Amino acid sequence: MPSSDALVESLLAGRTLLADTPDHLLQVLDVLESYGDVLDAYSINLIYQAEKQFLNPFPVFRFLDGDHSPAKIWRHLLHDRINFEYAEYCQKAMLWHGTGGLDAYLDSEAFAANCARIVARKTRRDLLLGVLNPLFPQFLGELIRSAATTHALGQFWRVMSDLFLDLARAGRDGRVDSIAAVVTFIRDGLVAAAGAPITYAVEIGDERFWVLPPEAGLTFLADVAVPYVEAVFLRGTPFLGTVSFNAQAQQISPDQARFAYGALYADPLPTMGSGIPPSLLMQDMYRHLPERLRRWYEGGLRGAGDMRVKICMSFQKAMFCVTNAAIAGTFPHPLDSSDPRERAANRAYAAAWAARLCVARTDCLDAPD
Amino acid sequence: MPDTLPLSVQLSWLIPLYGFSGMLLSLPWAAGWVKRNGPRPAAYLNLLVTLVAVIHGSLVLRSVLSLGPQHLDIGWFTAADLNLRIGFDLSLTNLAALELVTFMSLVGQVFALGYLDKEWSLARFFALVGFFEGAMAGVVLSSNLFMSYFLLEMLTLSTYLLVGFWYAQPLVVTAARDAFLTKRVGDVLLLMSVVALSAWAGSLEFNDLYAWSGSGTLGGLGATLIGLGLIAGPMGKCAQFPMHLWLDEAMEGPNPASILRNSVVVTCGAVVLLKVMPLLRISPVAIDVLLVVGTISAVGGALVSIAQVDLKRACSYSTTSYLGLVFIAIALQQPLIALLLLFSHALAKAVLFMSVGSVITTTNCQDLTELGGLASRMPATTTAFLAGAAGMTGLLPLGCFWSFGLMVEGLVPEAPFFALVVLLTNALTALNLTRVYRQVFLGAPQPKTRRTPEVNWLMALPMVSVSVLVLLTPLVMARIDRVPGIGAFSAGTALVLVASGLAGWLAGSLIPLDVLRSRSLVRPLRLLRDLLAFDFYTDRIYRATIVAFVAGMARITNGFDRLVVNGLVNRIADVSMASAQSLKLGVSGRLQTYVFTVVIAIVLLAGSLSWLGG
Amino acid sequence: MLSALLLIPFAGALGLLCWPGELATERIRRAALALLVLQLLWSLRVLLAFDPADAGLQLQESFAWVESLGLDYRLGVDGLAMPLVLINAALTLVSGICTRDLSQRPRLYFALLLVISGAVNGAFMARNLLLFFLFYELELIPLWLLISIWGGANRSYAATKFLIFTAVSGVLILGAFLGLALFTGQVDFSITPVTTSQLGMGTQLVLLGALLIGFAIKIPLVPFHTWLPDAHTEASTPVSVLLAGVLLKLGTYGLLRFCLGLFPEAWALLSPALAVWAAVSVLYGSLAAIAQRDMKRMVAYSSVGHMGYILLAAAAASPVSMLGAVFQMVSHGLISALLFLLVGVVYRKTRTRDLEVLRGLLNPERGLPFTGTLMILGVMASAGMPGMAGFISEFLVFRGSMAAFPLATVLCMVGSGLTAVYFLLLVNRAFFGRLAVTPSSGDALADSRLEVRLPPVALRETLPATALASAVVGLGLLPWGLGRLSEQATSAMARLPALVAALQGGGPLS
Repeated sequence: MPSSDALVESLLAGRTLLADTPDHLLQVLDVLESYGDVLDAYSINLIYQAEKQFLNPFPVFRFLDGDHSPAKIWRHLLHDRINFEYAEYCQKAMLWHGTGGLDAYLDSEAFAANCARIVARKTRRDLLLGVLNPLFPQFLGELIRSAATTHALGQFWRVMSDLFLDLARAGRDGRVDSIAAVVTFIRDGLVAAAGAPITYAVEIGDERFWVLPPEAGLTFLADVAVPYVEAVFLRGTPFLGTVSFNAQAQQISPDQARFAYGALYADPLPTMGSGIPPSLLMQDMYRHLPERLRRWYEGGLRGAGDMRVKICMSFQKAMFCVTNAAIAGTFPHPLDSSDPRERAANRAYAAAWAARLCVARTDCLDAPD
Repeated sequence: MPDTLPLSVQLSWLIPLYGFSGMLLSLPWAAGWVKRNGPRPAAYLNLLVTLVAVIHGSLVLRSVLSLGPQHLDIGWFTAADLNLRIGFDLSLTNLAALELVTFMSLVGQVFALGYLDKEWSLARFFALVGFFEGAMAGVVLSSNLFMSYFLLEMLTLSTYLLVGFWYAQPLVVTAARDAFLTKRVGDVLLLMSVVALSAWAGSLEFNDLYAWSGSGTLGGLGATLIGLGLIAGPMGKCAQFPMHLWLDEAMEGPNPASILRNSVVVTCGAVVLLKVMPLLRISPVAIDVLLVVGTISAVGGALVSIAQVDLKRACSYSTTSYLGLVFIAIALQQPLIALLLLFSHALAKAVLFMSVGSVITTTNCQDLTELGGLASRMPATTTAFLAGAAGMTGLLPLGCFWSFGLMVEGLVPEAPFFALVVLLTNALTALNLTRVYRQVFLGAPQPKTRRTPEVNWLMALPMVSVSVLVLLTPLVMARIDRVPGIGAFSAGTALVLVASGLAGWLAGSLIPLDVLRSRSLVRPLRLLRDLLAFDFYTDRIYRATIVAFVAGMARITNGFDRLVVNGLVNRIADVSMASAQSLKLGVSGRLQTYVFTVVIAIVLLAGSLSWLGG
Repeated sequence: MLSALLLIPFAGALGLLCWPGELATERIRRAALALLVLQLLWSLRVLLAFDPADAGLQLQESFAWVESLGLDYRLGVDGLAMPLVLINAALTLVSGICTRDLSQRPRLYFALLLVISGAVNGAFMARNLLLFFLFYELELIPLWLLISIWGGANRSYAATKFLIFTAVSGVLILGAFLGLALFTGQVDFSITPVTTSQLGMGTQLVLLGALLIGFAIKIPLVPFHTWLPDAHTEASTPVSVLLAGVLLKLGTYGLLRFCLGLFPEAWALLSPALAVWAAVSVLYGSLAAIAQRDMKRMVAYSSVGHMGYILLAAAAASPVSMLGAVFQMVSHGLISALLFLLVGVVYRKTRTRDLEVLRGLLNPERGLPFTGTLMILGVMASAGMPGMAGFISEFLVFRGSMAAFPLATVLCMVGSGLTAVYFLLLVNRAFFGRLAVTPSSGDALADSRLEVRLPPVALRETLPATALASAVVGLGLLPWGLGRLSEQATSAMARLPALVAALQGGGPLS
């Protein structure tokens, strides 16, 4: 495992965190392709939920994306579907950790005013909400915050899904042929989308209400991507299957900032065990796995038997690449700057990341498979 | 069974099988045979069979209301003078308990679908709940001690498996084991009594046993021991001191299972106690023990719960406490009051635990000191907690108020001390619930409670439904208890009861709340606090006594085995070196040597035989 | 009809050994399995011909063999022997199926397996003391070879120990049989109860004592048990299955058939002491099991404990307890075979059985989840959980013994409680927690990063265990089949002491 200093040097020198081997390239490209497919479905559903199931007290069909045909309902009853619960899990983690620009906006006066308008309109017709709102004044506001995060995450994943599928195409075309090229590709994609606005409006009756208006100035990278990385890659939430919630045992830190349960820290081995939410994502990716990677996994000791653990391991490697790209794209100054002050700022930025990454599962970075 | 009975009654042996069939139906998903699709169909199938169980149960209940109690009996195993039967006692009490069990199972399963929505092992969970439900349904309907024991032990097993559901979690590893073993102690003691009764009384049918116990054929020490064994089983199941440890350990399991455990599993234990109660006249000591255990559990459990910083445990210790009161009521021959108390406790505790589950799921936190300010944002959760708390305490005219009123009224003339225990428990519970409510729902939001939207509808709906039921409890109780009616206590009793509840509420509103991971600076206060927070150090006492004893005996036995028994054998072998040497030669040699040895052995054998013959 | 149960395995073994030319291991294995399936089918045929309502011997076959010795070839089955014959056929087949990675001499291995199976059949069906003894000894050498050739690292010590112990057991038994013939003057060696009018109580006690110790070594009972844990630890999985499932039953069968059956009066005299011995054996075995680190040793010690129940049941000798003894023999056969099979799977995949090393094997993708599930079922059955074979057996034993020996019965129940203790230690240590097959480093973070690669468990590897587990649950839920099969015979045996006492002086029994 690399030390914190080694990580700083790697980051400043523009070297990739993940060792550049053909096996790694295959895993990263293919696992990101299946992840792209899954994120596509997640994104569509989250946006559907935020727009069409807004403040619905009984969202029974929220995973159907509006398609209520018997065939689709039957498939859902058989659980022959993407596990959208995982998308909700990420959304909840993001909302709960509450960092970054989006979260700050959710506490602003402007947002409160938007909420008030929506609530006033909504409670006019809806008896249940009309009764509950005065009794529990923050109830609807909190649900709207949740919906706003849902929509924002849906928009974020839209971009990421397209980016990963583009990457897969580039990989097939031979345009991306090394881990470094993967990192560069993702970095470029992130940088290109960095300034894209994040907005969200709902329709109630035939009226349109802004929840996240364009004036709020929320953008893709700073206000959604960074909090997402913080909440899902780094902090995460403790898994019931591996951590005791018992208050007397004091296994969970009272300070959320010190949580280290995220994707870069998690232990892939218990995947598909009980109480391990990412199992859902692994299953979804398992269903969308490219043939090449599937065959590669089948060559292992357990063949198809532990494929989902192996997907998780590859996924962790891929997420290190994405983190690598995100860090590379967010250095305060160009890495080749000669100004000592800029260099110092870059070093401090890299050191801050290295301090968190050096206790992550960096042991997977050099592992052959 | 005459043919004239309605089909629902004739087929009532199916009721426990619904739950068990749910387990079998979940198998394809739980065992991982379905690779591509998710596990939810297992959950839907379990919900379906549980719904069928609820409907079937209510049909039987309706028939029994018009036809009177029925009995259903099927032979299971006979050998010599032993006749083991599967028997169902379809009395109103048992069927009411059955409806409670199946309905709570249904509600708990819906809640679980929401609580465990990102759980991949969902099928295994539902399979276990099905097993759980089947065993409970059988226990409450059982008409003989053998079947009761059989199913109680299955409950122990399913508790172990449910607590061990998150088997990879470090604390679960020991918690599941300890929960099983604590319950198992009670079960083995119960088994001793069951076996003894089977041997001496002949039949294990409750009715035959009642008659036998009246005949007074057995007395003295044997009767006392049998009585103690009989109450040990329910004591374990109802988490009574000193066998309450498992309930705390069981909190490491999933919350939906905790809902069932704290409401209906303990009720099953108490129902078994109610069934063996008429037998206990052979053993006055057992009844005294019941009273002592009940009192210690009632007051001790309430005190311990006040010192807990863990949300789940703060609520679970009051289960010990309330079941202590039920024990007192049963020991004092007040079965009806015991039933009313069980019923009102089960509903209120279930909704309380649902609320707890929803808090945990939104805040990722069980530490009371890290919670706060949820009330304005989570209507269903808040309502559920308030309804549960109100239903549990004798303050507002909900379930426990009427049960406590009847109990106090009945106890004051004969056993005023126990009336005081009831009032004290009520006050302490009110104090605890008020304190927990303040800490979780009032005050300023904490970092972990800053963003807390209400939980999804699969959790909210059961919470609200059971909350409504809790509010309606008095009506149901009035139907169960027509004579003398649930309001059959004086205004004075009501006043005292309300005063005790009010005192608890006031105290709970005034005491300073816990601050994160802090302890009192006043030494005696801190010691008392720790004593209660760590449950009178029960687990440490266990470890220092019984666990140390067994472990020590095991070590001694093993040492004796290795040094003395095995050592002696080796010494003898060393002495007869020559023969051992030649045998060793055989082992290391080739096939010919083996064959040679075989031939030698056979020749020796034949030689000795012909010598004898000659 | 019964002779075929001897003919199939013995002729098969001879055939395997003498078949000309080289044979591939797999072909030998298939041939042996075919023979074992045939034996099982034939045993089922015998079962169909067997009339459970008849308490006496059935399907008898006899002809004089070595008349001068009183060695008659007399076979017959009753409700006591029938279930054991079935168990023998089933478990030998299981142990044949689970034989894998045979490194050397497959021919000899399978021939020995068949010889053991045939000898055990012979011992259960023999109606002549000497014939029983011949079969009893015949099974010894093959088992010794199975341990000493295909065993673990320390196999020669374990095999030698086994051989010496069992040889002593044989000598004692032979001595008692010969002594019986010598003192009663009847050299027909038939299994007929002796009365005090034929033989003084003192002589009876001496002979019974020799027989008791002889069979106690085989069962084994404390303090004659030390060969068993060593033998199990060194034996390969199939041999352990055979040893625990079938061969130990020779001892308990001997206890019931010969100790109780030949000396009912002396037995009744000794029974209080025997009950105490049973309780000591149960508690000793259970306590020793708690202290074990090796999974296989733990299961072996649990065998020592659980065989004590049979002594208790035999001491009480009531109709229910005798039936319980048969149940316990069958269910112990099934459960211990199941547990040894599963431990074998764990060992084959992880190369260790150390409970301080193994953790988290329930892991669904990288661990042994199905094996773990069956293991939980197996240990629960062994701990006497209702719904499985262990419970009904223990219940019958305890219920039948309670009236006669309340204290010893209660102590045995404590032993049953202790079973839960050590088996939960086993399951929770080896199967719960985070997967690892190396000793804990003490650093939780480092432990959570251990990579574990275990070979996959093929379906066919768990098939025998699945079948046994189904049998365990089946017998636990539907015990009446076995009950009906054995009840008449065991009730008759339970009546024996009283019968003999009543017939005291009324001439010899026919």
